[in-house]
Amino acid sequence: MEPALLQADQLPTWTALAPVLALAVTGLLLLVIDSIDPNDTRPTLLAGVGTVGALAALGLAGWFLSAGTGQPSTNGAITLYGDALIVDGMTLFFQALFASVTALVVVASYDYLRGRAYQAEFYALMLFAATGMALMAAANSLAVAFVALELASLPSYALVAFLKRDTGSVEAGLKYFLIGALSSAVFAFGISLVYAATGSLLLPDVYEALAGDLTGLTGVAGVGILMVAGGFAFKTASVPFHFWAPEAYEGAPAPVSGFLSSASKAAGFAVAFRVFVTGFPLEAGVDWVLLFQVLAVVTMTLGNFAAATQEEVKRMLAYSSIGHAGYALIGLAAFTGAAGGDVLGASMAHLLVYGFMNTGAFLFVALAEHWGVGRTFDDYAGLASKAPVASVAMSVFMFSLAGLPPFGGFFSKYFLFMGAVDAGFWWLAAVGAVNSALSLFYYSRVVKALWLDDAVSEFELGSTPTALYAAVVFAALATVLLLPGFGPVIETAQSAAAAIVP
Amino acid sequence: MVPPQYYLVLAAAVFCIGVFGLLTRKNALLFLMSVELMLNAANINLVAFSYYWGNVTGQTFGLFTMALAAAEVAVGIGIILVLYRNFKDVDVTEAATMRW
Repeated sequence: MEPALLQADQLPTWTALAPVLALAVTGLLLLVIDSIDPNDTRPTLLAGVGTVGALAALGLAGWFLSAGTGQPSTNGAITLYGDALIVDGMTLFFQALFASVTALVVVASYDYLRGRAYQAEFYALMLFAATGMALMAAANSLAVAFVALELASLPSYALVAFLKRDTGSVEAGLKYFLIGALSSAVFAFGISLVYAATGSLLLPDVYEALAGDLTGLTGVAGVGILMVAGGFAFKTASVPFHFWAPEAYEGAPAPVSGFLSSASKAAGFAVAFRVFVTGFPLEAGVDWVLLFQVLAVVTMTLGNFAAATQEEVKRMLAYSSIGHAGYALIGLAAFTGAAGGDVLGASMAHLLVYGFMNTGAFLFVALAEHWGVGRTFDDYAGLASKAPVASVAMSVFMFSLAGLPPFGGFFSKYFLFMGAVDAGFWWLAAVGAVNSALSLFYYSRVVKALWLDDAVSEFELGSTPTALYAAVVFAALATVLLLPGFGPVIETAQSAAAAIVP
Repeated sequence: MVPPQYYLVLAAAVFCIGVFGLLTRKNALLFLMSVELMLNAANINLVAFSYYWGNVTGQTFGLFTMALAAAEVAVGIGIILVLYRNFKDVDVTEAATMRW
């Protein structure tokens, strides 16, 4: 018999938000530490507190997941604050994902930020953005979805423009901000139209109203749903609001690029899955499954073809992240109602694996930036002879992103495409498979440059950044270990997804 | 009472003015103002239909939208400030060192 204190289902219900609270409190704590001693920059203390906070959030989310908080095995989903927030398996799954990526990126930033000013602000902004993402996964109302999306976005704009004397970083921040402001206005207008048609912002109420008789407001609801989809397209970097991504990821500090392209993208999907599945019935106003089918095909094709033509590694990774948004969209594009939990869960599992492999790839770019190696494929030539461990890790990320068998990315893509086939959308899976084959071309260019090409000039790497190295190696380990560990992951994801299907 | 459709048309018109401003202006500050117009169009809808449906959900969310718009401008002005320091201009088309 375990002591009562250790059973998650016997805690008061508000403690279900503990992962969100852990991230928020850590962010505030970092600001307090900074205000106590603003002139003495202690990177170890700041990075340490940030890492511990992110790991605490990860631990809490993992504990709740295994203890069955908010899941069918206990009393089902926990709703809080007049049903505006919801904690269930999907919430906790995504919160664990955001917390892992945040921990990786905070550890990696320790070396990246060495000697720079405003370190406390950097970590605090990152933790606040993570708080917003964790809240996005818990949104059960369009109002919470909007507020949480802004809470995740506003710190991200500042993080992208963090290197304020670097024109690339500023330009990236500006473009990210402009597109973000535009898309959040579109999102807000969409929400107002949905409210106009239904009279409520709570997703279950919206669902009921849309499934019933709308008395002439069907068109308004339809336009509203389209505009809401536009808001999510920005956050997930999919067509038609994808064009900020290459600029923002290329110009931003590399750890921030990794953070945005994995955690922020997954957050967009977390809230999109919840809003569309639990808020908008399939037959309401607009056929949103068809919309996502078009978006998925266009996004993955555009992302992969554009990535194949790039000369810079970071920019290639940016376009590849657009391509992966296209794969993850299959979760909504092949959604068929009652049986849609499987493909939705496969999409969630893909986002988890993607979180590790893509963050790891961007952190390798951060490592290269730290060493002062150039940005193009040619500049990476011969790097493996100087830094074999990191190069092995990068090769793992590249092959996993391409979906080759012995890595985590293979299973997640396999389940995703199988889910689409089972739902009767074999052509979606076919387009995805063709795109994956194409992606192998540009991913293997990196591996070829690292291992096979000879260095064009002699270069010295200098110091070995321990924390950055540790983060890269850990991400690689996670990517490899997700292959034997994929069973529990996909089970958790699919049962969590099945629980939200109305 | 004014029929609710009129509010929808008004809000759509304000929204479209905002979109027009976005597409035609190069000045980053005018860009921000256009976004404000679009957000206020959403507020018109929210407040009008809050009255129509007889609940205060829409009005409350309207307040949230205003607060968030202010927060967005605060971050945005900061970014525009560093844009000015780096490019000596607030023209959004100036910042084009990376190819599209």
